[in-house]
Amino acid sequence: MTAMPTTRILLADDHALVRRGVRLILNGEPGFEVAAEAGDGAEAVALARAHHPIDLAVLDVAMPRLTGLQAARELSRLQPGLRILMLSMHDNEQYFFQSLKAGACGYVLKSAADRDLIEACHAAMRGESFVYPDAVATLVREYLDRVRQGREVPDTVLTAREEEVLKLIAEGHSSKEIAETLAISVKTVQRHRANLLDKLGLHDRLALTRYAIRAGLIEP
Amino acid sequence: MTVEEVSHPVFLFWRIFGLNALVLGAATALLLWAPVTVSVPVLLTEAVVLLSGLAVMLIANAALLRIGLAPLSRLSRLMTTVDLLQPGRRLPVPGRGGLTGLISTFNAMLDRLETERADASARVLSAQEAERRRIARELHDEVGQSLTAVLLSLRRLADRTSEPLHADLLDAQEVTRESLEEVRRLARRLRPGVLEDLGLGSALTSLSTEISAHTGLAVTRRFRPGLPALDPETELVLYRVAQEGLTNVARHAEAVHAELELHLSADAVVLRVTDDGHGIGTAREGAGIRGMRERALLVGGRLEVGPRPGGGTLLSLTIPLLREGSRPT
Repeated sequence: MTAMPTTRILLADDHALVRRGVRLILNGEPGFEVAAEAGDGAEAVALARAHHPIDLAVLDVAMPRLTGLQAARELSRLQPGLRILMLSMHDNEQYFFQSLKAGACGYVLKSAADRDLIEACHAAMRGESFVYPDAVATLVREYLDRVRQGREVPDTVLTAREEEVLKLIAEGHSSKEIAETLAISVKTVQRHRANLLDKLGLHDRLALTRYAIRAGLIEP
Repeated sequence: MTVEEVSHPVFLFWRIFGLNALVLGAATALLLWAPVTVSVPVLLTEAVVLLSGLAVMLIANAALLRIGLAPLSRLSRLMTTVDLLQPGRRLPVPGRGGLTGLISTFNAMLDRLETERADASARVLSAQEAERRRIARELHDEVGQSLTAVLLSLRRLADRTSEPLHADLLDAQEVTRESLEEVRRLARRLRPGVLEDLGLGSALTSLSTEISAHTGLAVTRRFRPGLPALDPETELVLYRVAQEGLTNVARHAEAVHAELELHLSADAVVLRVTDDGHGIGTAREGAGIRGMRERALLVGGRLEVGPRPGGGTLLSLTIPLLREGSRPT
């Protein structure tokens, strides 16, 4: 891979300790640099105005003054090319869909931040979505329901293995459980999951948002 | 009021006395003017006439007392069946007669009991919700965030350590993650954060997808996007009733499919939960339904549970919006 320019990151979280932890992890990753830190949403917006150029904003969903969602909305209006990732305590796909709607391209649970944060940042910088796993389950379940009711015609053919994974995802199993059930590695499950989303046309933020609206999971 | 209260026994007394006097007077008049004599010792025929006279008198007395005291038995019927969670049942107050006072006092007592009951449960429920909210917030904001910080530190440590410490640190990371998830689950059970943060529409959507995911019950949502924000208390009641309703369906109804509907008109908001299960039949109302009734009363709402046409159960909650409750978004 050619030497990439450093990704300048704006980090906002109202908890200093969490912010410090996230900063250390991001700064420890080659190619990433935390350029600005904010303790609430309003400060994040002000900093984004002052610190040009910012490439990526990592925002806590719940913050005083301006929440992460409000800040994301504001930031994507201010700087349309800015990649935004939400960091959240809430294990609930509604926050994920609302984040997408607010302009974020990914949603990372704090309880998985140690594992997923770096990956999500890389995905964001590649222009991909980092889809929160439970949201995948909901989307896939809606998809299967719609197919069953004849409201959706599957326009791609899934492999037998992908069908198996799809069913298990829809039943709400975690990657680890699916890996154990099918006796394959977690990595392989994750690859299948990514392929599935691709085949269902749910690869990026806009497609995901449109689909969620169509399925009635969020308001247009 | 006091005059009325004192006057009941007197009224009742005169009523019974009057009825008895009427019957005895009739009997005496009959004895005076009818051509009857009683010999000593009494003749068989005379005895028969006297005894039948007595029987007629008793029957007449019983009938009159029955009519006279009918409002009392209506009253005791209402007393045994009255349910403070389904308020509004009252006895019609007769225009005149001895029981007017008694019945209107009883109705007034019901009014008072219903108000007190509603006030008491409102206080209990709101204290409970406030306490839950406080604990959830502390779990979320304090414990949760600290654990997140620990998790991130462990990750950094693990990155910079080689075996055999590395594996131990990974284990510590997993334990921390599990604790963090447990804290989050606790907080979430205590308080529906999504309702406060994202509004009723998102909260109900999330509720239905969650129930589907955990129980396999297919839930169809029928509510229009763009619900206006209601006052937080009403939203919480709608959410909790939907939650309890869907949980009941998933747990007891053996249903395959449920529907969650929310309609908003100018003067009321109506939430319905329907299912295609085996219906509630003659089962007694459990704690769940009584809890929902209690919550409905908090915001002046009415809860109805009954069979759905075509099988299954229909639960509907109607909350009037007459109060200065709704605010524009």
